[in-house]
Amino acid sequence: MLLNKMPSEEENLISKKEVLSQTGISYGQLYRWKRKGLIPEEWFIRRSTFTGQETFFPRDKIIPRIEQIKRMKEEHPLDDLAELITRKVDEKLEVAFSRLRDLGWLDERLLGICGIQQEEERVPMADAFCLGIVRRLQRTAREEELELVKRTLEEAGAGELIPRVREEGLQLYLLRKRIAAGGLSAQISAVVIAPAGALFDPELEVIKAVDLRVVLDEIKLGFGASKVRTLRKQLREEAARLKKQELKRLKEEMHKEEG
Amino acid sequence: MSERANSASISGAGRISGGTYDRVTISGAGKVIGDLAANELRISGAGKVEGKVRAREIVVSGSTTFTDSVHGDEMRVSGSARIEGRVEVKELKCSGSIKVHGGISAQYLKSSGHLQVDGDVSAEIFKASGGFQIEGLLSADHVEIAIGGACLVREIGGERIDVRRGGWREKGILFDGLIKLFTGGGTAELRAGLIEGDEVHLEDTIADTVRGKTVEIGPGCKIGTVEYSESLRVASGAKVKNKSRLGSE
Repeated sequence: MLLNKMPSEEENLISKKEVLSQTGISYGQLYRWKRKGLIPEEWFIRRSTFTGQETFFPRDKIIPRIEQIKRMKEEHPLDDLAELITRKVDEKLEVAFSRLRDLGWLDERLLGICGIQQEEERVPMADAFCLGIVRRLQRTAREEELELVKRTLEEAGAGELIPRVREEGLQLYLLRKRIAAGGLSAQISAVVIAPAGALFDPELEVIKAVDLRVVLDEIKLGFGASKVRTLRKQLREEAARLKKQELKRLKEEMHKEEG
Repeated sequence: MSERANSASISGAGRISGGTYDRVTISGAGKVIGDLAANELRISGAGKVEGKVRAREIVVSGSTTFTDSVHGDEMRVSGSARIEGRVEVKELKCSGSIKVHGGISAQYLKSSGHLQVDGDVSAEIFKASGGFQIEGLLSADHVEIAIGGACLVREIGGERIDVRRGGWREKGILFDGLIKLFTGGGTAELRAGLIEGDEVHLEDTIADTVRGKTVEIGPGCKIGTVEYSESLRVASGAKVKNKSRLGSE
């Protein structure tokens, strides 16, 4: 075991055995995900070790990727995952204004905050994304906090941010903290974009957390959040049913041939 | 050469150009020049396709060479087929001999003849009862091998790997001779560099390394190293040089 670690330490590689024991996945899953293109061929690095040929992976890539697949496979059929994981380009595209109408997102005040003109036929993805977020905050957040959200998104650069939303499971947190000193008291607001489960100091109050993945899905599919959940469930069930049917058919055929 | 609307058939010697067809049938010696898209492609004579093929059903019972990749739903080879590109089909059944240079990707692959692949083979279910030579990785959820000739593969990886002694021994000398003819001689055993799976059962297998959760090394096996995490059984006739149980740290 110790010898196996030698090559891995030089380049921050992790052996297949370690990957399996660290993430709890099986050989079957690893090979299946490789076949489906969820783990790129180039990440499989073959090295000779004391015990023979071994496969290593770039440690900082493989572990997050496996965690991502484990998380996402609950919600998506495996065959769609490769596309979802590798899809980045279309998130930079535009959204038809009519889609925002279908979503019921047309609110003059919110459109104004996100800088969307009513007359526009197509809206940049970044602006639609901003709209999807602020409308979730509108009841709890103050006007200047909504502005702060908009500025934060602008600063982050939506083109850069959107691909990371899925990879890292990003959430947007609206936080407030009261500071009192010498008889004066003030409240400050903060906007943080971080992966789910970020921890804050106890004096910070989390006013609202928005799951950015859900916002993206809403825009892409043109449905509200509850509808997205129902559709996903239906899709999952349908896929499971079809797979079962197909396997049954193959099995029967195999039996027939053997018999 | 007769031609119907949208279908083409060569029954003597002839050639057609690629394109989109409903049915293409070659029963003499025929050549397709250019990329071909068809509902059905049947070759029972000597055929050659110079270009990519995309067809729902591909049946080769003669001898055929494909100079590029082959895509389809169903492919059946009972003669001999040589594919210089990749094969990507839902179902591949081979009872003849098939030689692929660019690798195979299928949902279901069954070979009772001889299979030779220069690249990787990936499938959901892989069943072989003949012989094969795979230069790359054989990866499938279920790998079922009934050894019926010389089986050679660099690596096998999957969920369930089941290698059994083939039934050919009982079928007599003639059958044995036929297999040797097909496979170019060689003993009926599986040789592999590495075998990794969750449930592994092996017979008549010679491998450098076997890794798995539950591993059964059956009769006729010679294994360099076995690493297992849950259980290991070694049959009395099998040889295993090194065994080690992996901790679940």
